Amino acid sequence: MARKITLWVAILLLLLIGLAPVISMFAKSLFVAGELSLGNYETLFQSEREWILLSNSFLLAGSVTFITLLLGVPLGTLFSKTDLPFKKIFIILFVIPLIIPSYILATAWFYFLGRSGIVAQILGANVGIFTSRFLFGFSGVLFVMVSTLLPIVIILVMTYLRMVNPKLEEAAKLSATWPVVLREISIPIIIPGICLAGLIVFILTLGEIGVPSSLRFDVFPVESFIQFSAFYNFNAATAAAIPLGVITLIILIIERLFLRKKVFQFRVTKDPMIIIPLGEKKPLFFAAVATLAFIIAIIPLCVLLIKSLSISAYHEALTRSIDSIFRSLLYAAIGATCLTVLGFFLGYLLERKAFRFTYAVDSIAILLFALPGTVIGIGLISLWNTRATNMIYASVAIIIFGYIAQYTALGERIMAATFSQIPRSMEEAAQIVGVGWFRRLFGILIPLAKRGIASIWLVGFIFCLRDLGITMMVYPPAHDTLPVRIFTLMANSPEEVIAALCMILILITLLPLSALSLIIKNKRQKI
Amino acid sequence: MIVKMDHIFKSYDKIPAVNGISLHIEKGERVVILGPSGCGKTTLLRMIAGFVSPDKGTIEIDGLVVAKNGRSLVEPENRKIGMVFQDLALWPHKSVHGNLEFGLRAKKIPKNERNKRIDEMLVKTQMIPFKNNFPGELSGGQQQRIALARALIMEPKILLMDEPLSNLDIDLNLLLRKEVLELQEELGITMLYVTHDRDEAFSLATRVVVMQHGNIQKIGNADEVTKFLSELPVNKKT
Repeated sequence: MARKITLWVAILLLLLIGLAPVISMFAKSLFVAGELSLGNYETLFQSEREWILLSNSFLLAGSVTFITLLLGVPLGTLFSKTDLPFKKIFIILFVIPLIIPSYILATAWFYFLGRSGIVAQILGANVGIFTSRFLFGFSGVLFVMVSTLLPIVIILVMTYLRMVNPKLEEAAKLSATWPVVLREISIPIIIPGICLAGLIVFILTLGEIGVPSSLRFDVFPVESFIQFSAFYNFNAATAAAIPLGVITLIILIIERLFLRKKVFQFRVTKDPMIIIPLGEKKPLFFAAVATLAFIIAIIPLCVLLIKSLSISAYHEALTRSIDSIFRSLLYAAIGATCLTVLGFFLGYLLERKAFRFTYAVDSIAILLFALPGTVIGIGLISLWNTRATNMIYASVAIIIFGYIAQYTALGERIMAATFSQIPRSMEEAAQIVGVGWFRRLFGILIPLAKRGIASIWLVGFIFCLRDLGITMMVYPPAHDTLPVRIFTLMANSPEEVIAALCMILILITLLPLSALSLIIKNKRQKI
Repeated sequence: MIVKMDHIFKSYDKIPAVNGISLHIEKGERVVILGPSGCGKTTLLRMIAGFVSPDKGTIEIDGLVVAKNGRSLVEPENRKIGMVFQDLALWPHKSVHGNLEFGLRAKKIPKNERNKRIDEMLVKTQMIPFKNNFPGELSGGQQQRIALARALIMEPKILLMDEPLSNLDIDLNLLLRKEVLELQEELGITMLYVTHDRDEAFSLATRVVVMQHGNIQKIGNADEVTKFLSELPVNKKT
């Protein structure tokens, strides 16, 4: 009984904090002056501009998906299946752009390729004009979004390839060369994983506002943000958010209906993964990967470092944002803790299939994760901006609610994967001798799942810390976080101060990751 | 001589898996390696296939040195070997036809010839009605037949079989043993079979190799090996 109540509380929290705002927003968008009407949508879609924005969003999301898959599949294959040198360093370099907020990458590239950027200073003003034209608009947004989201494809391809039974490849290797084996056996087997990576990239690009607004490419999600923040036209903002929600929902339904059924059952095997020797082509692959890593990760990081390389810049940056830095760390820590608790129970629910409607709860969490931050932000405002709930709306709670709404799926899925490694019999053995739910929880489940719990907290912390979409929409006065502070200071602050702020954000994001890797290293040495 | 292994050593993390084995296999023979789990029999098979390189020693296949002193000299795809894996390793995304066609296509055999050989092999293994089915749609026994057909269609010099029948119930195991024998005799192919099951070994082999702790303990026909095993102390029985 206690177990049922705990799980029900977790489900209700997800419904109240995550789903209710989205439903409330949709319901409100159907009323104009207190009467049921589609007027908001008529106004929205009668405007030619909205259709252009929508097609821009699709063009951008499609192009980013295509290019990330084109680059990510070979890179993921090289990192997971070959003897490419310095693989771990390359993986870290490629993952860095995903960890830091995407608009910071856009800022770094602006300092490098902008009209008076580093390239223009070295090669002359004419070159600066050319590079600036490339950066501002579709090509620049495409480039920055590809570098930001490429790690998702790389990581998923690596994960799925590691799950492929090596015997399938060996069976093929008896009659074919490695390129043929990869092309015809390994890659086709992981196509569901590649499609999943493509869907995630597509959805995340569709909801992005930071990079398109920094690099001046008009897309649909920016419209709801502008309607809300510039004109404070809540109805128009809501109506503009709904199409993105509907598109996301359709994509997820397609995924559920078609992709899941095509996932091949990977055979769990103790055999080590086969590492393909690159032979004579190793230097060639190394040079290609190193060049890409240099462009995608090293250039933007170096640009920010060089730009901010003065004590006065860091002094100024800290003076302007020390309160935001502390708030960011505090809110991210609170958000990560909430995500850990909720993720723990929902992950348990998903893996142990405790209720009949387990998959419905999972689908809600995934839908909320896939929705653009602006949509969730508007939903939260729609539900909580009332006199009765002002104590939530005007406090940090609204930001934390936003984090929970958007990122619960991460914790849920990580915990489900963790629980799948813990045999049910361990809990059942305690249950059969009369140990109650809470004692089982604290005495068996939590100690056995502590690695998963630590992972959720860390992942949650990073995602909360880098969040811009939701925080930007809902933060109450004097509650802005560092990403929001940087975004708002960008227009009228010296470049070196902004660069210093970006470096500070990158450092505080990477700090917990480095601490964790040190702890893991020490533990391994002790073992 | 089809396979010639001389003084083969292989260790994993300094623990010897194969400890100085020499074994010669003649054309058309059915050699069964019999031994308990961890005795090194699968490692031996994988060294012949080219998935593992021996630390020391020489392996020759049909007169060609394929591995010598820690170096693999010929890639698996060029060793002319067929193999049936313990878990069969049928490619789940390819139909029965696709599973059989893959190797032929990799060797650039023309389409007409490919289709002819696939049909012939499916007739031999009584699997022609399932040509367009996927592995997940087949029963355990049907999957075994396809794994065997896939290995044989490449007309290998030697067929390696790594405990392929170990996961089947006894009736199906006996039936497939019979079918394997019939196919081997019909095609005259050399076979090296690995198992921990004495009955399986004695019913299939023209020669049985008893392995333990990475060493060969006895080579002989079924009667000789039965006598040898019966004389072993109980705790040493395979």
